[in-house]
This record gives sequence, structure tokens and C-alpha cells, in this order.
Amino acid sequence: MISIRKLRKTFYAQQGVVNALRDIDLEVSEGDFCVLLGPSGCGKTTTLRCVAGLERPDAGEIEIAGRLVNAPASRVYVPAEKRAIGMVFQSYAIWPHMNVFQNVAFPLTQGQKRVSKSQVADRVRAALKRVQLDGLEDRPATDLSGGQQQRVAMARAMVTDSKVLLMDEPLSNLDARLREQMRVELRKITKSIGVTTLYVTHDQAEALSLGDKVCVMNHGEILQIASPNEIYARPANLFVAQFVGEMNFVKGAVTGPGKVESPLGVIAATVPNGVTTGTEVTLAIRPEHIEVLPAQRDGVAASTGRVTSRNYLGDSALLEVEVNGVTLLAKLAGDTALSVGQNAAVELPAHRWHVFP
Amino acid sequence: MKVETRNQSAVGAWEGFSRFLPQGVTLFATGLSGFLVILIGLPVAMVILMSLRTGFPGEDVPFTLENFATVYLTPQTYEILLNTLFFAVSSVSITLLIAVPLVWILMRTDIPFKKTIYVLLTIGILIPVFLRTIAWILLLSPRIGLVNKWLQELFALSSPPLNLYSLTGMAFVQGVSFVPGAFFMLAAAYRSMDPSLEEAAYTSGVGKLKTFLKINIPITWPAIAAVMVYLFMTAIAVFEVPAIIGLPARIHVLSSLIFTSTTPSTGLPEYGIAGAYGAIMLVLGLTLAALYVRLVKQGKKYTVITGRGYRPRELALGRWKWPALGFVFFYLAIEVFIPFAVLLWASLLPYLQLPSAEAWSSLTLKHYIEIPANVGPRPFINTLILMLAVPTITMLLSVLVSWIVIRTQVSFRGFLDTLVFIPHAVPGILMAVGLAYLGLAYRDYFPLYGTVAIIVLAHTINWIAYGTRTTNSVMIQVHRELEEAGRVSGASAPRVLGKIILPLIAAGVLNSWIWIGMLSYREVTMSLTLLTRNNVVISTVVWQFWGSGWIPQVAALGVILILFATIVVGTVRFALSRIGEIGSAS
Repeated sequence: MISIRKLRKTFYAQQGVVNALRDIDLEVSEGDFCVLLGPSGCGKTTTLRCVAGLERPDAGEIEIAGRLVNAPASRVYVPAEKRAIGMVFQSYAIWPHMNVFQNVAFPLTQGQKRVSKSQVADRVRAALKRVQLDGLEDRPATDLSGGQQQRVAMARAMVTDSKVLLMDEPLSNLDARLREQMRVELRKITKSIGVTTLYVTHDQAEALSLGDKVCVMNHGEILQIASPNEIYARPANLFVAQFVGEMNFVKGAVTGPGKVESPLGVIAATVPNGVTTGTEVTLAIRPEHIEVLPAQRDGVAASTGRVTSRNYLGDSALLEVEVNGVTLLAKLAGDTALSVGQNAAVELPAHRWHVFP
Repeated sequence: MKVETRNQSAVGAWEGFSRFLPQGVTLFATGLSGFLVILIGLPVAMVILMSLRTGFPGEDVPFTLENFATVYLTPQTYEILLNTLFFAVSSVSITLLIAVPLVWILMRTDIPFKKTIYVLLTIGILIPVFLRTIAWILLLSPRIGLVNKWLQELFALSSPPLNLYSLTGMAFVQGVSFVPGAFFMLAAAYRSMDPSLEEAAYTSGVGKLKTFLKINIPITWPAIAAVMVYLFMTAIAVFEVPAIIGLPARIHVLSSLIFTSTTPSTGLPEYGIAGAYGAIMLVLGLTLAALYVRLVKQGKKYTVITGRGYRPRELALGRWKWPALGFVFFYLAIEVFIPFAVLLWASLLPYLQLPSAEAWSSLTLKHYIEIPANVGPRPFINTLILMLAVPTITMLLSVLVSWIVIRTQVSFRGFLDTLVFIPHAVPGILMAVGLAYLGLAYRDYFPLYGTVAIIVLAHTINWIAYGTRTTNSVMIQVHRELEEAGRVSGASAPRVLGKIILPLIAAGVLNSWIWIGMLSYREVTMSLTLLTRNNVVISTVVWQFWGSGWIPQVAALGVILILFATIVVGTVRFALSRIGEIGSAS
């Protein structure tokens, strides 16, 4: 539905040249929800704006629904208003001089495919119903809460039934509780109408819960494209491991096939292909994969550590344990009887370790 | 596959007709820049040209440095420069001494009558400086000044104790006149200051006065410095006070010298000499403007924008309320009330005298009734033309320039923004002299000399800097995404402009339209420099009456001028307060 090929964009700022996008490739198939995830300045918003036609790439091609909309090499550029897309902006961009109805009706009354008056009313009402704002048609846009403005922006983006929906951090201005609620709703709505969605966020939890496909970006490059599950379980590189979810990192060196020497002792872990003996590597393990127990269990290998801090979160507890001078963060389901200063057995399952060159 | 792609690209190119749009915008921006370069550059070029020529404008003479020699080898010139500097420094000092506490009191404390004080400050700007100067002469002149007469009667003095005819007297009137402008420039800095910065000082155990001195002043220091430079730049170029007080007392500054060189009471105008004096003013103005721009940029680093809406917390004055009110009303008295009262009093009397039983019984409306006969319809019509044409042309150009500067990626948008700022740096009197020279020397190509149109042109050039500053800020306030949301919704560029941008900036644009109209209405320096028999406006009529010594007639016209301005501002404030609510939301 959306194909991006070798997209490149360079900004010339006062501080120098910024390579915002370096030959990005991305395919989003019909009906998919694709999330662009990365820290600020990684190029995710630039990518989205190029797809929207609000930014012009320097090189590469963009195709929406089989139609070439961007190809600087052959001088193809379809402006934003002719791309038949819907977009939700970070600031919502609700026009303050119009009421809710007028805002949502704008694409139908002023856009490319205008419809009859009665149809406008029907479709606006349907769109507002979809986002549960029915009955607020005559409200001035400025009288809405943040959450309501967000819903108006969504209704406006979907009112033309365009095949592609673009969202630029639409939930970042909402408070935490509302954000989680909207996340669920957003997924439900987009799936029910089958729209292809490209969604930008810097929030990894949002990316994992919303996307069919998550695309992690940094410094204008795509580092990994995979399902949320895959991204979390098998991060392709150190940056993805660091950026998505919590991770403990330990420096080490490869000493043989499947063997890494580290301050925690020799760890038997799968070493990626091409990493030869003697190479310095980084070992990584998720906090929830570390088990901390008061005493060693029979038949399970464990290191001895000391609890240095304990943080109770209700459904879980975060423990910091020091093992051979390395501080590891462990996340335990429920609570633990261990207290700060106590010695404990720390289980580090070999198959949970990731090795990054 | 290859063929298919090509096919699609062809379709894309056809549908994407507006891929020509960027070229269109660039072309349009180029045209507009070219027009503005001519509009703004030509008068400046004329000043430089005339400084290199002798004789009357249009005379075919070779270029020479004679004018510079005449001017810069005369010791008198340096005396005048010193006068100018002294006048500028003292004026700005007086302004800041009043304006900084005034801003703090009004923006950060709970002083009562805030709205009234704002309106009075606005009226303070609209009272033409020359009328205020005249009012102070009527009070403090050694010959006719009412205060002097009264003091002489009271203490049986043989000579008048006060004399306005000095550099200090000039600086006093000018300094007081600058205060409202300085106030509104500083108010923005104080308003945008996060109150938690002050609160953090209080919770650190620091008192209120110390917080003002150690937190407020340093944080707003870049803004204060910028205002200082701006006022200094203006003070070097102002003409009204130096002309009305300085010329009769033979105290010259640069601006009055430029004026008398081009419009001498006897002999031929010496545009060359005016150009040579103008050159130094031009250099000073551009240097100070560059400094000003730098300071404003620095100030932006200090501005703490938190993004969340907060109401500036107001400091409770408590028992300090009365001294604070006293200070504000003392200022308003010398700025607005006293000058107006004096003019009103003088306008109702056959001749200027102290209040007495005899004076009260001789009060008359004669001078008001005689205005139409004395003035005639022409000046009123001309003034009306100015008030309609100047703001319309200025705002039209400003909106177009701001749209290019703020909203497009045109490569030379920075140049365009700087270009329209230049009139801030080039004093109005120089622009007017340059235009006059252009009209005289190139009469065939530029047949506007002696018409109202040339004044419209001068005013437009002068206020385009102000106009673009306001349209820039209004345009920035309209979040970029509001426009983009319109584009993504499928609306074409003209539709987005008409349905989204224009409605959102309408209130702000209308506000500056009226403001520029009022500034044009009260302007006298440029109108006077470009004055001939046919393009008299009301402000120049007052000036001519004053020159002829018609004090009651001047006073009557002055009162009418002030009342009209007050009514317009009052009505607009009331009407815009409703539209403004929509414009400010978002």
C-alpha cells in the first residue's frame, strides 16, 4: 500500500548538514498498522512528512496505493492535497475558528472530492460516532479537552475514507491514563475500517502495543523492521536492544564458539555469525529473565550477588543486585522476601543472553 | 516493470500540476523582493547620491566630495553631534527610569485600574509628540509659559524661573514621549516570563524587592538592552522636539539640521549638505539596528517558554498600592493629562493667560467654530487618504512578505526579512528627504513630488518594518500544522489561505491596520519634509499655524486631533476585544 524506496533527505541547517534520511526502504501492506519508532531526530517524522507530501525528499521514490507520488529523479511530485490521505498531527491542528462539525467536514467541503450537502452531514456524523463524539457537532473547537480534540482530529482524518492514514505522535500530548485508553481504541478503529496506517512515535510501549509491524529508526536509518514480538525478543542490534524495553548490558569478549568471557564468568551464549574469537562484545539480558532467589536451587546454576536496592511496583518488584562488581536490574513478578544488603542467588539463564558485536 | 513505473510517473506529473507551484512561489517572491528593493532602496540611494552632488536637485553636476568637506571640516558639526548624543542619551535615560518600574508594576503586581492605565498609555502614543511639545512650551516657556507666570506672580520674581529651551528640556519632553512605546516593547518580555522563576526565588527565602533586582531585571536585561538601543536609534533621528524647542533657541541636532538644509527659511535648499549630514545618520542608524537585531536574538535565548498555559501570578502590593498608583498617575499626568488640559485651556481663550475670573468669563468656542474656515477641506481629505491608503498598502505587502518568510522554503526569505527591516534603521526624515530629492531630480520618471501619493509612499516605506513584524508574529502563532492539516484534507493552496490562514490572522492584521492608520494620522516629520501647497495634511496645518503664532487655533486643532484618536482607539479596543478572543485561541 505504501512503498518507500531509497528515500533520502538532507537538511542544511546553520549548524551544518543534517542527513535526516539515508536511503530508507519500507513496505507497508494493505490494512497493516506500521509504527515508526525512534528517538527524536531519528528521521521518523521526516519519513512520515515525505509520505504526506509536506516535505520533499532529495532522492528516492514513494508509492501510495500503486501510484507514484514522489520521485525527484523523474520530477514526480504530487502535492499533499492530491494524495488522498488522512493525517493526524501531533498538535491535532484543530482549526480554532471552526466548530467540531466544520472541522470534520472540511475535507468533504473544501477538498478534492467534494460531496453533496446531505452526504456531508451523514458522513461527518458517522465519523464522529466512530470516535464517540456524536452530539458535539456544534461545539466550538476551542471548548474541547485534549482528548476530545484528538478524537476530532481522527474523525477529520478518516472522514474521506482514504486508504492511508498517517499519524504523527498523536497521543503524546495526552495524559498517561487517557493515552492507554486511546491506544486500545485507535487499534480497534483502524482495524475495523481496514485502513493502512503509518504511525510515528518515540514511545516504545505504544509501538509494541499498536503495531503489526515496528520499524526502529536512528540517525536517518532503519535498524530493524519486524513484528513487535520479534523486536522485543530478538533485537537486531545494540541500539534496538537499548531503545526497546529494559536491558542489562555487560561487556565481554568472545573466547570460543558459544563462549563469552565476562565479569560474571564465562557465559554460554549464541554468538552471532561472523564474530570471531577475541572480539569485544556486549552481552545483554532483560530484567524479567533474571531470577533472584534467597538461596540456590538444586540443579540450577546461579551466581552469588548482593541486593543493593529494591523498588516495589505492586504487580512486580525491581531489584538491583551486584554480582562480581556488575550491577544487574532484575524484575520479579509479584514481590520478594529479599531486602537490601542481603546475599542472594542470581540465575542468569544462558538462552536468554543476547550477544552484540 | 520499468515501463509501468514510467507510466505512473507520467500520471503523477500530470496530476501534480502544482509541482510548478514551488517555481510559482519563488517567482512571486522574486518579484516582490525586487519591488521592495526598489521601494526601500531608492530613497536611501538618493540620500547617498545627493550627498555627492552640489546644486539644486536635477542640475547636471559632476560627483564631488565637496559636501562632506564642508560638513566634516566644520567644528560646528562636531558640536551638533555632541548635542545629538547628549539629547539621545538623556532622553533614553529618562524613558527607562519611568518605563521599567512602570512595566513591572503593571505586569507583575495587582495594581488596580490596569485596563484604564493601558488605554491611557495607548492614547499617550497617539498624542502627536509635537502637540505635547507645544503644550509644554505653553507651560514652561520663559516668555509665555503659564507655570513661569504663575510662579512669578506667586513669589514676585523678576525673571521666569524655568526654561524649557535647553537640551535638558528637550530630553525631558522626548523622554516622556518615548515611555508608552518602551512600555509595550518591554511588556512582552515581562509577560512571557514564567512566574515559577520568581516563585523559586521566594521559596529560596529571597525577598520581593531583591527578587525584582536579582531575578526580574537580569532575566529581562536583554529585552531592556534591546529597547535601549532601539530608543537610542530613534532619539538620534527624531525631529519634532528638536524642531519645536531647539530651532527657536538655536540648539541644533542632526535631524533639525537636515531639515533646515532642505527647507531653509531664506536662501536655496542645500540637498548636498543634507545628504552629507544624512550619511552619518544612516551609518549610525544601520549600526544600531544591527546591534538591536543581535540583542533581540540573544534575548530569545532567555525567553522561557514552557508551553503550558499559565496566568502570571500577581504580586500583592498591600500598603505599597498607593505609592505605586501615585507613580503611575504622576507619569500619566505629564504624559497625557497636563498636555491635554493645557491645550484645552488655550483653545478656549482669546489669548493665553492664567486662570482667573476674567479668563473664565472670556471662554469661547470661537476657535473650534472657525476651524473649517481656517483650514479648508483639503487637509482633511488628504489626511483621510493617508489613513486609508497607508495601512492598506502596508498590510497587504506585510502579509505577503510574512507568508514568504514564515511559511515557505524560498531560499532568500532571510534576505527579504532583513530588507523590510531596513526602514526601522533609516530615519523617516532621511527617507522623506531622499524621496523629495527623487521627486525633484527625476520629475519625469517619478512625477509624484507635491502630491499626497509621495507622502503615502514615505509612510508605507516607514511602517512596512512595523507591519511585517506584526504579521510575522501573527503568522508564527498560527501553528504550521493547522495549514498542513488543510493541505492533507485535500484543499488547494489558495483555499487553505482563504479558509484557514486569513480567518486566523484577520484580527491581528486588522489591529495593525488601524494602528498604522493612526500613526499615519499623527505623523508630521515626513509630511512636513515633503510639504508643498497641495499635499497639506492636518498635522502639517497645525505645524504651520504654530509657525505663525496662532496659539488658540493650534490648541483647538490639537484638542480635536487628540479626541478623534481617543475615540477611534476606544471603539476599536471595544470592538476587537470580541474578535480578539477568537484570534488568540489556538
